[in-house]
Amino acid sequence: MPGTPAGRWAVPPDGTPPETSPVITGCGLAVSGLRDEYDLLEPTATGAEHDPDAGRAGPGMRHKDRASRLALHAVRRALAGAALPDPAATAVVVSSNFGNLDTVCDFTDTIAAETVTGLSPIRVPHMSSNVTAGWVALEHSLRGPNITLCSGTTSGLDAVFWAATLLAAGRAEAAVVVGVEPDTAPVARLHREHGARSWLDGAACLIVEKPEHARARGVRPRAVITGYGRAARRDDAVRQATKAYDRPLGLWVAPGPGGLDLTARLGRCSGALGVLQCAAAAARFDRSADDAVQAVAGDEHTGARTEGDPGGVAALLLTRPESGHPGGDRHDIRV
Amino acid sequence: MTSGSDGRRPVLTGLGAVSCLGAGVGPYWNALLAGGAAPREVDLPHLNMRATRMYRVPGAAVPEHPRRHAGVPLGAVPRMAVAAALEALDDAGIAGPDRADVAVVMGSEMGNASVQEERRGAGGAGRPRWTPLAVAGAAVGTAIGSRRGNIGVGNACSAGGYALGIASDLIRSGEASVVLVGAADGVTRVGMGGFDRLGAADPQRCRPFARDRAGTMFGDGAAMVVLESTTHARRRGARAYAELAGVAWSCDARHPTAPDPDAAQLVRAMREALADAGLRPDQVGCVLPHATGTALNDAVESRALRQVFGPGTDRLPLFALKAMIGHTSAAAGIFACLTAALVVSRARIPANAPLEQDPDCAVWLPLEGPLRLERPAVLANTCAFGGNNSSFALTGPGGTT
Repeated sequence: MPGTPAGRWAVPPDGTPPETSPVITGCGLAVSGLRDEYDLLEPTATGAEHDPDAGRAGPGMRHKDRASRLALHAVRRALAGAALPDPAATAVVVSSNFGNLDTVCDFTDTIAAETVTGLSPIRVPHMSSNVTAGWVALEHSLRGPNITLCSGTTSGLDAVFWAATLLAAGRAEAAVVVGVEPDTAPVARLHREHGARSWLDGAACLIVEKPEHARARGVRPRAVITGYGRAARRDDAVRQATKAYDRPLGLWVAPGPGGLDLTARLGRCSGALGVLQCAAAAARFDRSADDAVQAVAGDEHTGARTEGDPGGVAALLLTRPESGHPGGDRHDIRV
Repeated sequence: MTSGSDGRRPVLTGLGAVSCLGAGVGPYWNALLAGGAAPREVDLPHLNMRATRMYRVPGAAVPEHPRRHAGVPLGAVPRMAVAAALEALDDAGIAGPDRADVAVVMGSEMGNASVQEERRGAGGAGRPRWTPLAVAGAAVGTAIGSRRGNIGVGNACSAGGYALGIASDLIRSGEASVVLVGAADGVTRVGMGGFDRLGAADPQRCRPFARDRAGTMFGDGAAMVVLESTTHARRRGARAYAELAGVAWSCDARHPTAPDPDAAQLVRAMREALADAGLRPDQVGCVLPHATGTALNDAVESRALRQVFGPGTDRLPLFALKAMIGHTSAAAGIFACLTAALVVSRARIPANAPLEQDPDCAVWLPLEGPLRLERPAVLANTCAFGGNNSSFALTGPGGTT
């Protein structure tokens, strides 16, 4: 609502929220051992031969860093060949804590061995922490807000929340959300030094849009982003996320026992965790009668305490779309 | 508009800075009025490049503490961020247990990378511990005792502008009442070397809009501001420097490092920021441009300003801040915000650094001053690799000067 003092956030006189809750309409994964988001639900998924970076020399992939290649694969799968109708009103939100670490470390080593003249100008963009968001925008001509978050292990759920916030604020009509963490040598070394035995090599992408935007382009809402909480403790974060929801929760996608623990399955996922959790939620609504999935990231079971994180916990409540029904089909993978 | 939404207008109530002009906002402003700083040589091994200077924070202004966070050794960047954060909160009069309720939004480009670099460059003598980008924000959150959200923004040289927008949306949406938002960046050979290899680094000084500009020159430092809702500020009787009246973001989606010569998305960001603030272009009394001193940026931004402000551009004072403190990377947007808040609250615009202006940059850079701020708003731009653009507008609290 430009022109009013509160600008985008002006509340209508009757106090009703200006927008309905945003929906997830697309998922794409580029994760070693997984074919798509449905494999996140199956502990014995058999896609072990799958290399998430198999197309590294393919079109649009050469001379890019591994994090960006993984992200671009995931985005292509999430879009499944469809173009978003209004690229100027489409945001990109990337969550990654270690995406550019290998480039920065390589540059430091190169300077020590060869001085600055050894640095390749072609790789200079990769030293920038927002390089992945830039490449995603470039490949799909997305000219809306372009955000990179690096808030530790909560960062993936934070990114989904910020995508929803961008829509609510009228800053975008749709958002491409990516969580990516590449398994590069410096990342592996840092994880090992801090007691991890396994960690993610991959990316996940979600398409988040307003419900009316999804209807207009004829795509099926797969999950509704219903609530978000951020607090020092898990209980408080979950309470914030569920304050407007009083029906039973179905699956918990959260670290620790009693739910779907993607960290136990995939290793530390860091900035990609929350985005993977939301993809798992979308798959769950297709395969069960659950009405709600509670995602939690950032407490001790995700390795956050040893990662120098800010130490908060994020919780995101996802609910079944009204038109949703169990039994959705596996996506066609067109990359 | 309802009174509820009016009360959520975000105002700036506290400022903190550590820069090449020294520690503290008072010395910072006085030094801007006196013409800014001169760059100094960076004394690091293996540089072997044309441009080896930076606008350096004086050694005495770099705090010694905190030395570690969660076992991670902290370099100068997070330490300066903590010092600026404490200054900003003191300035805002937020103390003791009230600090637990302050959310933190922290922009960073290289973060704590200087620690990593020093140890890797020491021939493998030290094993670097985990230093994620978020550590600066985590150190700030811990130092002030915050128990609210802590968000790390990695939008390269526009991280400050994006962090301001995120903080503003937190307040305007009612998610938070007080947000400490800032950014910090430091001296790294990776950053300097990368720009040198792109041919985008000036060996003499940062000379935005100058005919003989040869690229940018970095500066280190930290800038933090306290942003809070009008209602919250009024309730505790805090005085405000300015209102953060509008913020907008866009992406060129054209080139990984260079700006789009058409500037369509930078123009869009400026127009949307003004619209968000409810301002007309003729209500803007000063612009703090991104103005890095690179050949393309300054020419493109000049054309973008003419598209937004039309013939009025000839009478619109610009203040090219980077000529005085260098390009502080992620912190550039926060330094611009902090400077704009001082310009608004003191109604004075410092004179620009002397230059022979590039005729391809048809903008007005007053060389005499300080000038009086004649119109109510100040607009600032930040741009970055990845085609990221951010613009934001400040006015006097309640839309006044």
